[in-house]
Amino acid sequence: MRRVEHSTSPSKWTSMRDAVARALVELGYHDDALVVVTADVAKSTRSQWFGKHHPGRLVNVGISEQDMAGFAAGLALAGYKPYIVAFAMFLLRAWEQIRNSIDRMNLDVHIIGTHSGLSNYTDGSSHQVLEDIAVMRAMINMRVYVPADPLQAYSMVHRLHWEEGPIYIRVARDDTPVITDGEFTPGKLEVLRDGSDVALVSAGPLLANCLEAAEILGIEGLDVAVVNLHTVKPIDVQGLVKLASKTGLLVVVEEHTPYGGIYGAIAEVLAHEKPTLMIPVHPRGYGKSARSLRELHLHMRLDPISIANQVREAVRKWRG
Amino acid sequence: MPIVSCAFPGGVRSHNKLAAIARKLRLVVLEMAKIDPNIHVGASLSVLDVLVTLYFGRGLRYDGSLERDWVILSKGHAVPALYAILAEMGVLQPELLMKIRSVNGLEGHPSRETPCIDVSTGSLGQGLSIAAGIAYALKLRGVEDRYRVYTILGDGELDEGQVWEAAATIAHLKLRSVVAIVDVNGYQLDGPTEIVKYKGNIASKWEAFGWKTIVIDGHDYEMILSALDEADRVGGPIAVIAYTRRGRGVGFLEARGAQHISK
Repeated sequence: MRRVEHSTSPSKWTSMRDAVARALVELGYHDDALVVVTADVAKSTRSQWFGKHHPGRLVNVGISEQDMAGFAAGLALAGYKPYIVAFAMFLLRAWEQIRNSIDRMNLDVHIIGTHSGLSNYTDGSSHQVLEDIAVMRAMINMRVYVPADPLQAYSMVHRLHWEEGPIYIRVARDDTPVITDGEFTPGKLEVLRDGSDVALVSAGPLLANCLEAAEILGIEGLDVAVVNLHTVKPIDVQGLVKLASKTGLLVVVEEHTPYGGIYGAIAEVLAHEKPTLMIPVHPRGYGKSARSLRELHLHMRLDPISIANQVREAVRKWRG
Repeated sequence: MPIVSCAFPGGVRSHNKLAAIARKLRLVVLEMAKIDPNIHVGASLSVLDVLVTLYFGRGLRYDGSLERDWVILSKGHAVPALYAILAEMGVLQPELLMKIRSVNGLEGHPSRETPCIDVSTGSLGQGLSIAAGIAYALKLRGVEDRYRVYTILGDGELDEGQVWEAAATIAHLKLRSVVAIVDVNGYQLDGPTEIVKYKGNIASKWEAFGWKTIVIDGHDYEMILSALDEADRVGGPIAVIAYTRRGRGVGFLEARGAQHISK
């Protein structure tokens, strides 16, 4: 596999958008059919790197997300392998186009939503999408993936490229700690930390906070598992049943509303496969502008200590 | 499903012959309306002459590959007109037409599962963006001067902002294989376009976006043929603004601009 250097500093590897863009540049050398479509966020999403390496195969339709979705559908119909790369928040204004022009025809369009969740801490609530997992996984054909860190985002884009049908990959902006070794097995939940008392389930950059919370609780004698649900749809039913059987209590942490995100996705399965007490941990209301992701997580009570507090509370209630 | 050819040789240049085909297919559309009064007869009849001239006059190049002419019926509710044409060409069995909007028959709006229908539509405003993507694919393959991507829109459909997003994208990228045909029948779902939402000077709008325009009578075969010829000869993007009448050819519909035979 040809690797392409873009950054001089290894610190760039803490950026998911950079990792995704690198993967696309590399894939572009292996697949002539790969075309990237974006909507005036070629710089912000780093998809301009793809354009530099593969002239003519990056299309910028301007600030026109609905058109971007249809354009990608047309490329797919005519035999190309389009990627939509844009802010997760704003491509949702094309939800109906994605539903009717892409998902309904089961077209081979991969959608990468960047700056998702609270990762765009500086721009505030208008840019911080907390609903995308719910509405994307609501479609019949769309599969939904959320990488935990830049290494996993990179391998995920590579691995899923050869899959057919519509795919949504939710990635964060920058400032994402590396917590995986970059391995990615589609469809299987990943146990990042074993534990038998309670399982913390999350997806995306919040997993780093969950790992820290588990460390804190470990000192107190609570054996906490941390599970990476990178494949939200199709969900790992067996893996979840096994997890629920082992711990009996799940705490689900996500940068999403409590309506239809991974909490909902897990509940839909366990409700009939293995009814289990599940406690949701999620942002309270819409996001806000902040000076750092840490500041915003603190405000939203999604920082490691707040998560640990909520897990402790959940365990106390559960044990009566 | 038997393997069918979606190539339409075209070549019917006689106005009398085109008129005869159109007359026959108008009756087929009415037969479908008798079976299911929910079909959009008025809009099917307004666009029928344009479609007949496209399929039987100009013809479509199609050899089973992705490098070919494409047709997107963005105003998907007019699909009965297209079904009538496909049946006339032997692509669809006539019995199937009588199963319009039945669960084991034909969809109420274009579906890619129907033979020789390239794109599923039905939600207005989305066809032109898809045309842009297809045209870009033809450009990447280096064949954009050999083929055309026809998109048929309604005038009511022009209310959708996405149409103008696509119009700007296509002009900006100079996608010259795109031919947009606007069926200006003067009506949309809630009534005359003048009352629901004033459309202004439609041709000027397209020109302002950087398109060439040809304004025609959408029931005049000579004008339709010459517009399609020009779209083949001159690089686009070209918008053909076809002024038509809803319910054309069926007196009691045309007089009222009616959409359905039962109302």
